[in-house]
Amino acid sequence: MEPTIPLYNIAKEPEGYSAPGFFATKLDYVVGLARKNSIWPLPFATSCCGIEFMATMGAHYDLGRFGAERLSFSPRQADLLMVMGTIAKKMGPILHQVYEQMAEPRWVIAVGACAASGGVFDTYSVLQGIDLVVPVDVYVPGCPPRPEQIIDGFMLIQELAANEPLRRRYSPEYRELLASYGIK
Amino acid sequence: MDNEFIIQQLKEKFPDKVLKIDTSSDMLMMEIAKNAICDVVLFLKNELNFIYLTSLCGVHYPEQALPLGVVYHLHNLQDNILLRLKVFLSDEDPHIDTCVEIFSAANWMERETFDFYGIIFDGHPNLIRILNVEYMDYHPMRKEYPLEDSTRTDKDDKFFGR
Amino acid sequence: MQQFEAEHKIINPEDFEKNFSTLNLGPTHPATHGIFQNILTMNGETIEDAVQTIGYIHRAFEKIAEWRPYYQITPLTDRLNYCSAPINNLGWHMTVEKLLGIKSTKRIDYMRIIVMELARIADHLICNSVIGVDSGALTGFVYMFEKREMIYDIYEEICGARLTSNIGRIGGFDRDFTPSVIQKIRELLVELPKTINQFENLLMRNRIFMDRTINVGSISAERALNYSFSGPCLRAAGVDYDVRVMNPYSSYEDFDFTIPLGINGDTYDRFCVRQEEIKQSLHLIKSALENLPVGAYHMDVPEFYLPPKDKVYSEMESLIWHFKIVMGEINVPVGEVYHAVEGGNGELGFYLVSDGGRTPFRLHFRRPGFIYYQAFPEMIKGSVLSDAILTMSSMNVIAGELDA
Repeated sequence: MEPTIPLYNIAKEPEGYSAPGFFATKLDYVVGLARKNSIWPLPFATSCCGIEFMATMGAHYDLGRFGAERLSFSPRQADLLMVMGTIAKKMGPILHQVYEQMAEPRWVIAVGACAASGGVFDTYSVLQGIDLVVPVDVYVPGCPPRPEQIIDGFMLIQELAANEPLRRRYSPEYRELLASYGIK
Repeated sequence: MDNEFIIQQLKEKFPDKVLKIDTSSDMLMMEIAKNAICDVVLFLKNELNFIYLTSLCGVHYPEQALPLGVVYHLHNLQDNILLRLKVFLSDEDPHIDTCVEIFSAANWMERETFDFYGIIFDGHPNLIRILNVEYMDYHPMRKEYPLEDSTRTDKDDKFFGR
Repeated sequence: MQQFEAEHKIINPEDFEKNFSTLNLGPTHPATHGIFQNILTMNGETIEDAVQTIGYIHRAFEKIAEWRPYYQITPLTDRLNYCSAPINNLGWHMTVEKLLGIKSTKRIDYMRIIVMELARIADHLICNSVIGVDSGALTGFVYMFEKREMIYDIYEEICGARLTSNIGRIGGFDRDFTPSVIQKIRELLVELPKTINQFENLLMRNRIFMDRTINVGSISAERALNYSFSGPCLRAAGVDYDVRVMNPYSSYEDFDFTIPLGINGDTYDRFCVRQEEIKQSLHLIKSALENLPVGAYHMDVPEFYLPPKDKVYSEMESLIWHFKIVMGEINVPVGEVYHAVEGGNGELGFYLVSDGGRTPFRLHFRRPGFIYYQAFPEMIKGSVLSDAILTMSSMNVIAGELDA
């Protein structure tokens, strides 16, 4: 008999104890599972990498396969801030404000060399990496990164979301991190 | 219409305002006296059909007596002639008349030139910085300023061999 | 009771009509495709005035260019109009060649035409599909982006990169077109017209699309010239100015092609002009491919063109040139040159001043998007907000090109 390819993927169940009629697991795992597969990204596309992101959203690469079909253009409803492209000094405060407006839990991915480090633009007008204004979870290198790389970075964020303890966002270390960026 | 005709017309109309004529580069180049640039551009537009302002930019020659330059490229679309006009200004008095009223396109080009070189276009409706942040206190494209931001702390020079 | 009424402002309809509200559109707004800020003064739904702020990704290209050797400026030009990066690259190479006074061979010219027209198609595909998205039709975007990947595949075959291509070298190309490049271009010539037909069937005579775009954001030919419009935006207004025809570069004069023109200069005309230009570009690619002469894919300019790697290891002369080029120790003649190419958005000019040093003394990019975007307030005055969004996307303002 030929193995049949399933038409759709079902997320793997977390570790737990099951017996007829019930399934017991940690709340962390369940919440992580839900968060992982329904990340709403906020595309903060400023330049070239934004075009590659458009290709990532297109039919060929299809970011929708990872539960990110719905782009949230409002920071209030977004889980993941995808910063794609150069952030100039003029833009820095705006990025900071967008991050502040996002609700917890929130992740940030710096797509491309410019967002990660300023890239080739070591000039008077370019911010040398967005980690000067907001905390970053995943850096995707490349100038611009290929859509595969962007998807790879997105999957790393998924791993972070799945494995994050529920209390992390209330921990003093996290508060300290935010305070170092001037975010209340 | 050819270059000879343009030179002759301009010499007739503005005898002492055309300071230098150079035909050795890829197009006719003329250096115009600072106070006559608007009249020359207007004359070229109305009489000689140079109706298209291709570009307007600044240039900085620190060694010259008049270090700041403004370069105009005008295009006669009918006869397909390109023309380059240059005006040189001193450091102490970087003022020049605006040509926004002649070409609307000059608006942002002049603002960009002001932003980069600090050349002040008298009569410009809104001469403020366009690309850089408002609180910037210098004009970055002048030759004396470095490429990198001098105040940055994020990149340690010893890792870059500087 | 009397007191209570006095505390509340009573709005009568006449006051209400005079009260303008301010709407801040941008800098990060999903409908603006890039970061531009427009502060709109609204009278109800109608736009009374707009104030633009730009410069949010100013990266100081012109300053960097004064600090880099000539061949290192090519990657900078990629990031000007990143939707059609190869045109910028090849335009820069041609500018340097013009300064050096070298004449390229027909084969290189034709190869360049093929690459530049591919880039023009990619640029127009993005712009037109995004006009569709902004008017509420996402389907066309998905169709077009699938086929756009074919163009990226061809870029990858030629130069190894997808978007910021860094294609070609000063003096030619770094490698010849492989048979698979030719085959992929031929495939594209067959496949793309089908998709374009599908796309046009969706939008071109679509009642909703026409209602949304006809007489939206129109500009007269006279005003467009005064604002130094160029490219599809100028041609939509009815002025037949195309650098490829006016000042032919790279042997465009060998080819027979049509310059489409619009009448009203509105969003629909811009859409149609771009659509027709895609077809003309396909025609150009086809005839360039058919007449592609045989010969070398680069010129004999040892001062700029890197020698083959195996010769670097075995020949003294090649090693010296390689070292000199990589270290940027090449002197170029003193001079000034202006060279323009027809970019995706219009006349992309390079004004290069050389003082004989290793780097340009001054390099000014004439960026078409920067110049014509300033007409935006004039074009949207009196229209409604949703029309302003469509006007902006049909002008195809690219932030990288705008802010340089």
